[in-house]
Amino acid sequence: MTKAKTTANLNQVLLNPACRVGADFDAWMGYVGGQGLEKALEDPAAVIQMAKEADLRGLGGSGFPTWFKWNAIANQDAYRDVGEGRERGAVSLAERDKYLICNGNEDEPGTFKDRVLMKECPHQLIEGATITAVACGINKIVFYINPHLTACIEAMGRAVEQWQASRWPSRVAEKTGLKIEYCVKPSSGHYIGGEETAAIESVEGKFPFPRGKPPYPSDFGVHGYPTLINNMETLSNVPHLVRNGVEWFRNLGIGNATGTKIYCLSGDVLRPGVFELPMGTPLNELVNNHGGGLLVGKKLKAVFTGGPSNTILTPKDIDVPMDFESVAARRSALGTGAMIVVSQGTGIVKKVAEYISFFAASSCGQCPSCKTGTYYMSLLLNRIGTGQGTRADLDSLINLCKILPGSGRCHLINGAVKVLDSSLYHFMNEYEQSLLKVEG
Amino acid sequence: MAKGIPYNIALKHYRAQAERPMPQTDFGEELLRQYHPDYLRERCVDLTVGPNAGDPCHRQLAEVLQGDARIDEADLAGSPEVETDVLVIGGGGAGCAAALEASLAGAKVILATKLRLGDSNTVMAEGGIQASVEKDDTPQQHYEDTVKGAHGELDRSLAAQMVMDAPEVIRWLIQQGMQFELDQYGDLMTRRAGGTSAPRVLYFRDYTGLEMMRVLREAVFNSNIEVWDYSPAVELLSDESGHCAGAVVSSLKDYKYILVKARSVIIATGGIGRMHLNDFPTSNHFGATGDGLVLAYRAGARLRDLDIFQYHPSGLAYPPHLAGTLITEGVRSAGAYLLNAAGERFIDELKPRDYVAAAIIRECAEGRGVYAGDGQGRPSVAGGRTPGATDGKCGVWLDTPSIELRQPGIIEKRFPKLLHLGTKCGIDPRKQPPLIYPTLHYQNGGAIIDREAASTVPGLFCAGEVCGGVHGRNRLMGNSLLDIIVFGRRAGQAAAKRAHGFGRGPKKITIEHLRNFRRELMLANMPLARKSPLLFPAYAKFDVDSDYDGLRKTAAAGFIND
Repeated sequence: MTKAKTTANLNQVLLNPACRVGADFDAWMGYVGGQGLEKALEDPAAVIQMAKEADLRGLGGSGFPTWFKWNAIANQDAYRDVGEGRERGAVSLAERDKYLICNGNEDEPGTFKDRVLMKECPHQLIEGATITAVACGINKIVFYINPHLTACIEAMGRAVEQWQASRWPSRVAEKTGLKIEYCVKPSSGHYIGGEETAAIESVEGKFPFPRGKPPYPSDFGVHGYPTLINNMETLSNVPHLVRNGVEWFRNLGIGNATGTKIYCLSGDVLRPGVFELPMGTPLNELVNNHGGGLLVGKKLKAVFTGGPSNTILTPKDIDVPMDFESVAARRSALGTGAMIVVSQGTGIVKKVAEYISFFAASSCGQCPSCKTGTYYMSLLLNRIGTGQGTRADLDSLINLCKILPGSGRCHLINGAVKVLDSSLYHFMNEYEQSLLKVEG
Repeated sequence: MAKGIPYNIALKHYRAQAERPMPQTDFGEELLRQYHPDYLRERCVDLTVGPNAGDPCHRQLAEVLQGDARIDEADLAGSPEVETDVLVIGGGGAGCAAALEASLAGAKVILATKLRLGDSNTVMAEGGIQASVEKDDTPQQHYEDTVKGAHGELDRSLAAQMVMDAPEVIRWLIQQGMQFELDQYGDLMTRRAGGTSAPRVLYFRDYTGLEMMRVLREAVFNSNIEVWDYSPAVELLSDESGHCAGAVVSSLKDYKYILVKARSVIIATGGIGRMHLNDFPTSNHFGATGDGLVLAYRAGARLRDLDIFQYHPSGLAYPPHLAGTLITEGVRSAGAYLLNAAGERFIDELKPRDYVAAAIIRECAEGRGVYAGDGQGRPSVAGGRTPGATDGKCGVWLDTPSIELRQPGIIEKRFPKLLHLGTKCGIDPRKQPPLIYPTLHYQNGGAIIDREAASTVPGLFCAGEVCGGVHGRNRLMGNSLLDIIVFGRRAGQAAAKRAHGFGRGPKKITIEHLRNFRRELMLANMPLARKSPLLFPAYAKFDVDSDYDGLRKTAAAGFIND
């Protein structure tokens, strides 16, 4: 076992103990605080290019290239909200509003990384958001945080106050002309509130119903203004990327992958928790070296990657390097980096039923197919899971998996179907065993 | 260990005698320290995982408390789910009282019991039930006696609650139809228990517990409580915030698990006698294997006093196949002496039970006991041999002929069960004294509860012998029947109240707590080989012992005792 190597790889950047200072401005500045921002202020335009070269991805689950979003915002002309419609107009730099929503709505089962970043390294996050704002010409930053994470809201609130009282806002204004406003906004606490457009609705003060796309948030976001939405982890990476440069960032990753990733390990492992490891670390290493292996000497049965809304990995894929491309090559997705490990002792049907029930409870209900689809899937699964299901119930489930995907505005229904479909593919025998035994 | 005087010789020298002088020596605490099995410190270990980590615990009990669960999530695949307001685990006195009160309060109640309803230690209780109902008696005196008997190491608020509720409990029991011995005027008759200051024990013949169980059982069958026989709980369920949300019940009849989702759960599973701590024989019934302690502990409930047990002084010592069978303390309180092989009294028979038990152990250890064995000994049930424990063949006389001399006819009238026991042993207790030796009788420790019988885990209530703190280091005669009814009823009321205020009940039911417990076990390098709860004693043989077909099948299928 490469114990020494793995320990050296663990928590290098974002979760580096030196970073984890809480809402303590001086401690952050004493470490590396301000260096990245200073560099960004020298040459704001270079930041997007750096993100592109470093291949920084959206770490909230999509893996979407971050520079692409940034570019879309930065190239956005200013819009003025005129009554019902929108009108392209020449507005001076000082007048235009652009929003950055830092998404900390984290509510997916098995994901618990952003709360660590918000609570323990809030200044890293604020600096990252500020650099992004500088690069894209954004003047309003909203920290959008799940209200259940009270400690995070408290830490972020204090950190924002400290930041505003520092010399940085005036320095940014002096260099770029941007008067950045910060705001900590507790979200509604609904799972769906983490979806991009739902977050926008929520920031506008409405119920987080996802919007149809297009228009995309970069065109028409909060109150019609161009809006950028990034995950907390993505933004936390920015100060370090700008400070240390592209080369350093690319070298952090393993293989073609770049940077680091915070993996949330949970389930039947001995030591669950958050582990920041180089992007592309094999799953095997995470589970066995860092997670201490499986509980009670049981064998691995499956891994739910990226929380429950992705496909399942089976033991033959335990060697997969955990980066976006490699996991996708195994018909799954990295998602948020949540790895829910289940052992031979776990019943897949019950587990999936639990997740689908979560989706059914989390559906916002605006798309009928999602509202009733998740409900029926959970009903059927619970029936099968409690030994009351018939063959017809199982057939209905299989049918639902075929007709439901893509029928909603957002991806909730797709995620629900994906995990169910994948469990049906890998563990059909378990479903069949749980069916009601018909006598004779 | 000195063997003592052979049985036949001792019996030849025995003469029934109405009066014998009280021994003058007073040994006090030293006697306990030297001879009481609780003070064998090498039998104690410190718990390493769970809510009581660091606390002393009996070695055998620690093994099951820190054991691995019998079930895994995969075992529950296809298990039906049943929803209820209140789930009562255990069908003894406390469980029935709790179920009755909860049902009366309007809750839907399921009572799951490992054997059959009433198959419990309650029916073994012979002596009676304490309540300060006499004119010159007060709850205060009752409280003081309880505290003194407990050596002060009890939860005083629980003891106070118990003694205050006692008269009301007697009224309730009479309303349910329970009979007590009455004098010629129809007043309740009382007698003195060991270690008490006034006659306070109400009784019915020498099977008070059986009579109590009879009426409780009838009351339960006449209510709309759903009773599940042969359905031991093997694990508790927890909801997303770690509160208790039901239990996994293993239905031995049809060989499957049932998930019971409950708004409140009451554990009333009784004690641990059948674990045969320190290799002692036990007076407990077949199901007393400490399941409730294990379930509660894994769910995160704090326990207390896990190294303190009660050894009843008068368990039968001979013949061996009946070893451990209880002879009521009522016999001693009626005036029967304890005599060593030389025919001498060696202790005030009405001292608290721990002193009397320790004194008997001392007599035998120092060679003044009566030895009825062949010198070979027998392998103990728990597999090991402990200094101080006998092979069940050494003991002292319980001088029943003397009370018969003083009050002719008393045994037939007041102790019919003793007479019946005598016929089983082949002796007539009116003429020949039975040979007795202390027997593992009662678990003094257990789950920590408050006055409403709520444990430290929200949603989980405990009542009866599974609770700790009511009796401290030593329980008085007659306080256990009182304890089960007082806290059984309070648990039922509190559980129903919680169920009513719970809205739609727990959102999800999991065995997540089990995963955390296993993690703790592994991190502490504990072996995971031992499965608990035990459910049945190791020597249970369903293929020959049980009259119940389902038990045989489930045992054969490896469903229990694997």
